[in-house]
Amino acid sequence: MTSPARTSVVTAPVQTADPALTPGLAAITIESLGKRYGTGPLVLDDINLSIEAGQFVCLLGASGCGKSTLLNIIAGLEKPTEGAVTVASGKAAVMFQDAALFPWLTAGRNVEIALKLRGVPRKARGAAALELLDLVNLADAANKRPHELSGGMRQRVALARSLAQDRKVLLMDEPFAALDAITRDLLHEELERVWRQTGRTIVFVTHNVREAARLGERILLMSSRPGRIVNEWTITDTGSRRIESPEVARLGDEITDQLREEIRRNAA
Amino acid sequence: MPLDARIDTTRAAPHTPDPGHDEFRRLEAGLDSLQAVPETPRGAFRRTVDGVLPPILLLIALVAAWQVYILIAKPRPDLIPGPFDVFGALASAWSSERLQLAVATSLERGGLGFLIAVAIGTPIGLLLAECRPVRRAVGPLLSGLQVLPSVAWVPAAIIWFGLTDATVYFVILMGAVPSIANGLVSGIDQIPPQLRRVGTVLGASRFEMATLVVLPAALPGYFSGLKQGWAFAWRSLMAAEIITTGGTIGFGLGTMLNQSRELADLAGVLATILVILFVGILVELVFFAPIERRLLRRRGLMAAGLR
Repeated sequence: MTSPARTSVVTAPVQTADPALTPGLAAITIESLGKRYGTGPLVLDDINLSIEAGQFVCLLGASGCGKSTLLNIIAGLEKPTEGAVTVASGKAAVMFQDAALFPWLTAGRNVEIALKLRGVPRKARGAAALELLDLVNLADAANKRPHELSGGMRQRVALARSLAQDRKVLLMDEPFAALDAITRDLLHEELERVWRQTGRTIVFVTHNVREAARLGERILLMSSRPGRIVNEWTITDTGSRRIESPEVARLGDEITDQLREEIRRNAA
Repeated sequence: MPLDARIDTTRAAPHTPDPGHDEFRRLEAGLDSLQAVPETPRGAFRRTVDGVLPPILLLIALVAAWQVYILIAKPRPDLIPGPFDVFGALASAWSSERLQLAVATSLERGGLGFLIAVAIGTPIGLLLAECRPVRRAVGPLLSGLQVLPSVAWVPAAIIWFGLTDATVYFVILMGAVPSIANGLVSGIDQIPPQLRRVGTVLGASRFEMATLVVLPAALPGYFSGLKQGWAFAWRSLMAAEIITTGGTIGFGLGTMLNQSRELADLAGVLATILVILFVGILVELVFFAPIERRLLRRRGLMAAGLR
């Protein structure tokens, strides 16, 4: 299944993935979705989207364009005003900008609580949590409390906790926005590895163009007020890209130009 | 789908154990150790010395100043007794076993009254925090009750319950319950909203949300409510004991204070005040402070400079 055509697509994508190579099923389907709060202005307008299983999608836009709202609606934390969202595998796991670990629990217990709420029997939880923490290279920190961890480590524990939910779809709301650049680069690598290893469908919300160009297989650009999807790029997955690489820079430049054009339209 | 703790690895990507990954792990571990906050715990001896020495030194200084004043100004001993008179009064109360009886009676009442107040105040606080209409209706009343001095209830309680222990407990409850309930309410109000959101995302039911997220998150606020509740309980108890004597009411510290007043025994009065103060400090130091310290330190809420 391919995504429905949009009239608002302005320019052609840089690299178009051959549809024959990616025949995946839709993990998330969004149909003519609209959202407004009370009688306020439209926040999201006529969003139509189909995300393939296993795809890494970046949702990019300026602050206040409604990308987090869209993510919350997919997560089921907010209700759409019109239209419908279908997550094929049921519910989705969510990770936020704030790691939001429970401060009274150790890193290991924070992961275990997700296993517990999933119904994993008590005996299996300890080992499973340790395995998940090892996946983000934090097995040694299992007995540390959140305040003893750095911001990047906390975010990795949060990632392990999201993975503990064992849901096919992982929604991420600017998870690395509050981290320093060195840590962020490492976490990009970490996340990409986890994605390749676990085959999750990831929807990654960000306002960082380079980050989107570094991570995404598919990048969706959103306009503001109301939030619409105005363009998208598909990148053939030829293995890991570095954020410093020329192809990321080239793609980033192109996306930035369009993003600025969108922002300019809000002037005066 | 079976409940399997393993990670789903359906996407068999070109994933071979490459040396690059080991390099990456070392890089990440290096950054972790650079960024992690090192904990430098102080020894138990050092902590005790730091915590106990300053107040003891202050106490010695105050008693010394008091004695110096007595020696220099030579005031009338029935108006301003010296420290030795007060210690003497204390010693005689001890040898006649009135002191032990009074402390035991008051502590028992205070402790029992406090526990009853916890049992009543906690559900009220939960109800107020989780149920908006109830809160709008009862909230102002509860705040008002917290401000109202609970001694004001003594005359009414005497008329209702006579000179019995029920009067004392009633006054304690009127003092402590509002503090405990309000402490729990503010503890729950101060829970960062993202913690509840995580609970929702992780699929917690209403009951799981309350027991696994809300109550543990509200614990620091609830605990300071408990502490304040104890302070109000102890104060209310003393007030009630001073005012109500006779009947089946036993011999508490307040009673002892009032007896000394009737005998115009100022040294005895001061000695009893010191005992009441000392019991209050002791309960704080032995019971509340260690629990609070542990609670806050585990959550990283205690600044490094504090104990």
